[in-house]
Amino acid sequence: MLIFPETKFDFCGDEYIYAEISKEMRIESNFKAISITNELRKRNIPGMIEVYPSNASYLIRYDPNAISPHHLLDYLQEIDQQKSDRSELYFSSRIIEIPVWYNDKITKRTIEKYQHLQPEAEGDDFSYVMKANGFTDKEDFIASHSAPPYFITSLGFKPGTAWGFPLGVPQRQILQAPKYPSPRSYTPSEAVGIGGAFTVVYPSESTGSYQLIGMSAVPVYDPGQSLPLFQDSFFLAKPGDLWKYRPVTEAEYYNIREEVAKRIYEYRVKSIEFSAEQYDEEGMRYISQLMEGF
Amino acid sequence: MLHILEPGLKTTIQDTGRFGYYHMGVPPSGAADKYSFLLGHALLGNPPHYAGLEMMLTGPVIEFHKKTVAVLTGAPAKAELNGEAIPLWEPVAVSPGDILRVGRIEEGIFTYLTVSGGLATPEMLGSRSVCFASGFPGVLGRKLLKGDQLPLNEPLPGVLRQVGKSVPEESKPVFSRQLDVHLVLGIASERISDEGLTGLLNQEWTIHSESNRVAYRLHGGRVRYKKEAAPFGSGSSPGNIVDIPYPIGGVIVPNEEELIILLNDGTGGGGFVTTGTVISPDISVLAQAKPQSNVRFHAVTVEQAFQLRRQKELFIEKVKMSVQQA
Repeated sequence: MLIFPETKFDFCGDEYIYAEISKEMRIESNFKAISITNELRKRNIPGMIEVYPSNASYLIRYDPNAISPHHLLDYLQEIDQQKSDRSELYFSSRIIEIPVWYNDKITKRTIEKYQHLQPEAEGDDFSYVMKANGFTDKEDFIASHSAPPYFITSLGFKPGTAWGFPLGVPQRQILQAPKYPSPRSYTPSEAVGIGGAFTVVYPSESTGSYQLIGMSAVPVYDPGQSLPLFQDSFFLAKPGDLWKYRPVTEAEYYNIREEVAKRIYEYRVKSIEFSAEQYDEEGMRYISQLMEGF
Repeated sequence: MLHILEPGLKTTIQDTGRFGYYHMGVPPSGAADKYSFLLGHALLGNPPHYAGLEMMLTGPVIEFHKKTVAVLTGAPAKAELNGEAIPLWEPVAVSPGDILRVGRIEEGIFTYLTVSGGLATPEMLGSRSVCFASGFPGVLGRKLLKGDQLPLNEPLPGVLRQVGKSVPEESKPVFSRQLDVHLVLGIASERISDEGLTGLLNQEWTIHSESNRVAYRLHGGRVRYKKEAAPFGSGSSPGNIVDIPYPIGGVIVPNEEELIILLNDGTGGGGFVTTGTVISPDISVLAQAKPQSNVRFHAVTVEQAFQLRRQKELFIEKVKMSVQQA
């Protein structure tokens, strides 16, 4: 059953309303956030400037000279109640394969530079995360991380950064990692990071606080729209998509990079209809069915 | 056209921002001190969304290739037109071949140049503002460089009548190293102990040198978290939350001895305890504060936030009315 706690609304300064569906990460909170924000976007309300779904919350930016914040709050509360119906939680989506060189040499160089920020990791984020999750064998850890598809719950941080949450994994088996206590000032483009229960691919060079465990061989952001998959959007990720990480060797990594550079790389993509209701009822069985032939 | 003869330290094109893509990780960008920027537009009778130049710490040298009217606003800077000193906050008529030189900015960080009709540089996702994080082409993705030529729109009708006007002294922003900043508490405030909230509000914070248009970092106080387990999926530290869409102005507490306040080049999507949001008029004030300045925070209700916002809006409206009456 999908039962939601009462959403907590907060005014933030004079231009935002923040809605917290749940404090803890629950995938159904994200289904609800996506559903509500899709509806708000469709209604195209004057004075609503940004509509931003996140993992278990959403944020609205508004112009207080165009819409009364109190009226807006009432309106949001009304939609929130309507959208607790699980039959609304349904998306057209895609499964996209992301080849990853785990435990790579590129992120290692970065991590060593920022070792002082978290001495307890001893300059090795991969082993730090592996041990924190009770693994002793590197290949076992890689197999565990790359087995489930990751549901894209939201984007943010830098253009194209998307959070992925593993589907079909019992909560106590979900891999988790602490974040850096103070952020790094640099992270290489396409580094794969894990923070909390989420995995991200850094779309461009940036600051960052997730533990770096590998490098994606493919870009996830292409403002020049040079690769065919980016023709409609600068951003690979869409909330509601599923990403499947595939472990590759150093050699495969560089072979794919070459294809990307020549703009001939073709992403492996499968279109699906994702039903939260079916996921809720069938769990892992539903995920295996979606992943069939992928 | 504006011909950039010397670019200055970091001169960028800005308007009031890029909206509708924040949920894809695209920051709003836009003038850091929106208040000073909008006063410039008000003085010229420009609509608020027009683009101008934001100049940081050391200004540029610019040759005008059009007869138009321009005004400097924002942080006080030594400025010369063809070698003669010109004041800020006063529209001046310029002709082709005129050279504007903006020198060092002593107090504050940003000075603005707005021109009647605005810049006619390209737009991306609905805005002309530069976005460094985006990889956008040309001047949309970088600071201005020597030799840049920026097209200008035609000056607006009647703008010559604005030459020599000014804004009332009371509406000019104050540039100080002692700041009062107002915030509305909320978001994940419940994760901060009572003692921690007192620490936030009663202690003096100092702006760290590692501060920029993305975020300001502050040290000097201490904000204690509540001693409770972080929620599932957030990470394991008491400062972690499940990642949220940070609002611009969000007051983030990544550890007990640091505050991060998000400015216009910031984005949502972060997993640190966030305890409130700086009100929009004070974001302009904060963005102009030099490192080592001291900040005191004051918690306000959302109603008080609207009143403070309204005061600043009225100042801008008064200037607009004086322009229309001309």
